[in-house]
Amino acid sequence: MARKPPPPDEAPQQPSFSRRSFLKSAGVSAAATTLVGGSASVEAAPTALGPDAVTLSLKVNGAARSVTVEPRVTLLDALRNQLDLTGAKPVCERGGCGACTVLLDGAPVVSCMLLAADAEGHEITTVEGLGTPEKMSPLQAAFVEKDALQCGFCTPGFVVAGTALLAKHPNPTLDEIKAGLAGNICRCGTYGRIFEAVQAAAKAPRPALLPAKRGG
Amino acid sequence: MPQEPKPEPTANFTTKAGLPGSPQPLEVKPLATDIKPWDLDQLPKFEHMGKARSRTEGPLKVTGRAKYTYDIKLPGMLYGRMVGASVPAAEILAVDTSKAEALPGVKAVWVTDSRIVRFAGQDVAAVAATSPDIARDAARLVEVRYKERPFAGELREAMKKDAPGVFFLDRMPVPRDLPKTGNIAGPRVNRNQRGDVDKGFAEAEVVHEGSYYCPVHTHAPLETHGVIASWEGDQLTIYASTQALFAVREGVAEALGVDRKNVRVLCEHMGGGFGSKLGPSATGSAFSVVACRLSKLAGAPVKLMLDRQQEHLCTGNAPSALMTVKVGAKKDGTITALHYKSWGSAGVAGGAGTAGPAGALHGKNPNLKIEEYDVFTNAGPSAPLRAPGHPQGAFGLESAIDELAEKLGIDPLELRRKNEASPVRLSQYDAGSKAIAWERRNKKAGDITTGSWTVGGKGLAPSRVRGLGMANGNWYVFASENTNAQVRVHRDGSVEVLTGCQDIGTGYRTAMAIVAAEELGIDPADVTVRLGDTQFPEGPGSGGSTTLNSVAPAVRLAASQARVKVHELAAAQLGASASDLDAARGKISVRGDATKAVTFKQAAARMSGESIDCLVKRPKQYETYRNDLAGTQFAEVEVDTGTGVVRVVKMVSVNDCGIVVNPLTTQSQVIGAMIQGASWALFENRLLDRNVGTMVNPNLEWYKVLTPSDMFEAQSILTPVANLGNNTSTAGIGEPPIVPTLAAVANAVFNATGARIRELPLTPDRVLQALSEARRA
Repeated sequence: MARKPPPPDEAPQQPSFSRRSFLKSAGVSAAATTLVGGSASVEAAPTALGPDAVTLSLKVNGAARSVTVEPRVTLLDALRNQLDLTGAKPVCERGGCGACTVLLDGAPVVSCMLLAADAEGHEITTVEGLGTPEKMSPLQAAFVEKDALQCGFCTPGFVVAGTALLAKHPNPTLDEIKAGLAGNICRCGTYGRIFEAVQAAAKAPRPALLPAKRGG
Repeated sequence: MPQEPKPEPTANFTTKAGLPGSPQPLEVKPLATDIKPWDLDQLPKFEHMGKARSRTEGPLKVTGRAKYTYDIKLPGMLYGRMVGASVPAAEILAVDTSKAEALPGVKAVWVTDSRIVRFAGQDVAAVAATSPDIARDAARLVEVRYKERPFAGELREAMKKDAPGVFFLDRMPVPRDLPKTGNIAGPRVNRNQRGDVDKGFAEAEVVHEGSYYCPVHTHAPLETHGVIASWEGDQLTIYASTQALFAVREGVAEALGVDRKNVRVLCEHMGGGFGSKLGPSATGSAFSVVACRLSKLAGAPVKLMLDRQQEHLCTGNAPSALMTVKVGAKKDGTITALHYKSWGSAGVAGGAGTAGPAGALHGKNPNLKIEEYDVFTNAGPSAPLRAPGHPQGAFGLESAIDELAEKLGIDPLELRRKNEASPVRLSQYDAGSKAIAWERRNKKAGDITTGSWTVGGKGLAPSRVRGLGMANGNWYVFASENTNAQVRVHRDGSVEVLTGCQDIGTGYRTAMAIVAAEELGIDPADVTVRLGDTQFPEGPGSGGSTTLNSVAPAVRLAASQARVKVHELAAAQLGASASDLDAARGKISVRGDATKAVTFKQAAARMSGESIDCLVKRPKQYETYRNDLAGTQFAEVEVDTGTGVVRVVKMVSVNDCGIVVNPLTTQSQVIGAMIQGASWALFENRLLDRNVGTMVNPNLEWYKVLTPSDMFEAQSILTPVANLGNNTSTAGIGEPPIVPTLAAVANAVFNATGARIRELPLTPDRVLQALSEARRA
């Protein structure tokens, strides 16, 4: 069974086209390169799926996980509703706020704009994979210390985006921090504290900011 | 003859109130059951109060482990979805749900009884299905036939004589005795009105009159409104994203005709509300009740979260406001009269007043006339939004004061000093103007050679100009006395605070631990605060900046009673009298002899029974130093005169929030308010399509909010004030710091450019137009 064409009034969902990747490619090139490279392999291997539920194998936070979902289900919904990884948040539902940011092969993507099926074969890292309440990553610990959160609903997205930012710019300037987080929105008004947290984490003695890649 | 209720006996304390630099004795008469209040004398003695402490739930939130309503999944849970009206004004002719019901996976359907649509997004139907995707499909299959009616869109359209009527005059949701014409009800007369403005304007030597406009803003919390409803027999459990657990319980119980005792509402973490989540559902939707009905019908738990578009349409907004301000002064700057008039639109709801700042900021002005009108439009009803009506009102009022200063040729800060009635704000002017370096401002607006501007050691880039502005804000000392709290000391010495209140992101949970720990003489880390459950003692809704000063006095009183009981146990161990004991750092010692001591845990271990439980009602509010909370703000902006883009460079907020519990989280709220206010000033605008009356930008990219790229340097200065009124002398801070922000930014743009913009947001087109008008003038 062939994949259904998108309805004419909706843009096709391209895994390579998230708001973040667009912003990145407009401003900074390295992350976009990774992402385009990653998605090229997705495009190269078309698979006919659906419309009924299919079983997908996802590599999430270093572990192989299996989900059975309709092919139209986004990575965000698969993580949240099937795997109970609810750190990534549904907020704007269209790639406009960054609250659902996860890492795909180390690069930040908005998981509401990516089909779960298209995330197969990639290393997915969610905020849960970056640290635990007992053993937080340096950036997570800095968020707590600097009070870079209020209601906290945007916080996981900022933590993931900030982690990717620090992987790319270990000692970021304020402008680099602003650019790296530009795709994320906070409504309580924590931006200033978030910048402080990123700067503090950059100065912290650094074990790997990203968890070590396991397996392929 | 009915007996008059006996007044409850009171105690009498002389306290040291006011500002630390100028303390004033204040006689207070708390209930005899209350305790001696914390005042200025207590400040240096605090062990935990006033010390920065990161929030308890931080590690859960930064690792994605905190479970919000949106994150909770119950076994067998269905996913609900609301269907809203697609038109702003209509009669519903038919709702056909047959196709939706036939869709495999759909388990329940609800349809409204109402036949009249007054705004796009109003509840029409709802579905519950086995997956979010199926629920979305089913919602699309609900067919609604409308007989459309003419609609009144934005405020200024609805005020026109020939505008279609939103309500019949006798059905307007406003007081009966208010005059009504067309879509307009009013004027409501403000209680602060006084004197004779005609006489005041006759005495004035300089008069300014201007008209100002502020559009509708939406709350746009990141977690949309929603609930999970779950029945077990007649027991109903609701997980709600709410600012008011008990409002959900009581509202849903009443709507469903069930007993409150059978309804339990839970909210452990909540993703923002800003005033829109104070009711059982939302001001423009009954989704909580609908979710409960769907759950009952389907025999399964139902999670019903609104989507982003619905969030913009039916969960409230801040009223738009058209304001005319006339203000007169003597040449020396003494203000002699103010006439403030506003028309506000709360959509299909009333209560769009904006006169709070006009009434409160003119304490020395003898002649005040204030008139407020509500204008009805075919748009979603408003909800309180962070200091309801005040940021709008302060934008009109404080822009006008800035214009008056310009006409008088007086520094706007000096004009405000001269007319200031609050000693607290007078002290704040010094701190704020110093922090922003007010002396750098352009002495002549729009001429940067009269100011002092260096950026990174260099001057400004060509086409860039900078300026400084300031504005004042006010807030009130409110408290909910319908508040209880419980402190439990276990035999092992561990301590819990139980409060049926919610932490909406303010750091409330951490603050309660600090207050209890301070009173008990233990570490805040050893106090666990249990909240977010209607099975805990009743607490207030988190609105009006009242949560802290409503609950903290109850927690402190309960902790004090528990402390007395633990100290009695310690006294027996130490062979001393309980009244001779001191407690600090987890130890209880005999006053004057630190060697005679036991730990808190050792004392608790001697209790008979397994716990000491102290449940108290919040003691009555009493005398205060002042009944208002003062605030002032300063802004530095940079304007690109070529593109019209405004950038906020720096803001300083100076605020009174009583005795500070936790400066870290308090300042986070102040900074957050400045950011939200700057976002309103620069970007936010709910746009209704003039032709079809629906919202053009119901999302988070066209309804533009301030992002990290737009972020500025934000500084919070807290001026501690022992204001009393309660035993902790605390005050809330969520709302006051957003009141002056819009005006401070707009006034800074004037100082930078010489162009006055009287309509928000300060978008590049408005800036360029104002610049060209200023050049022509």
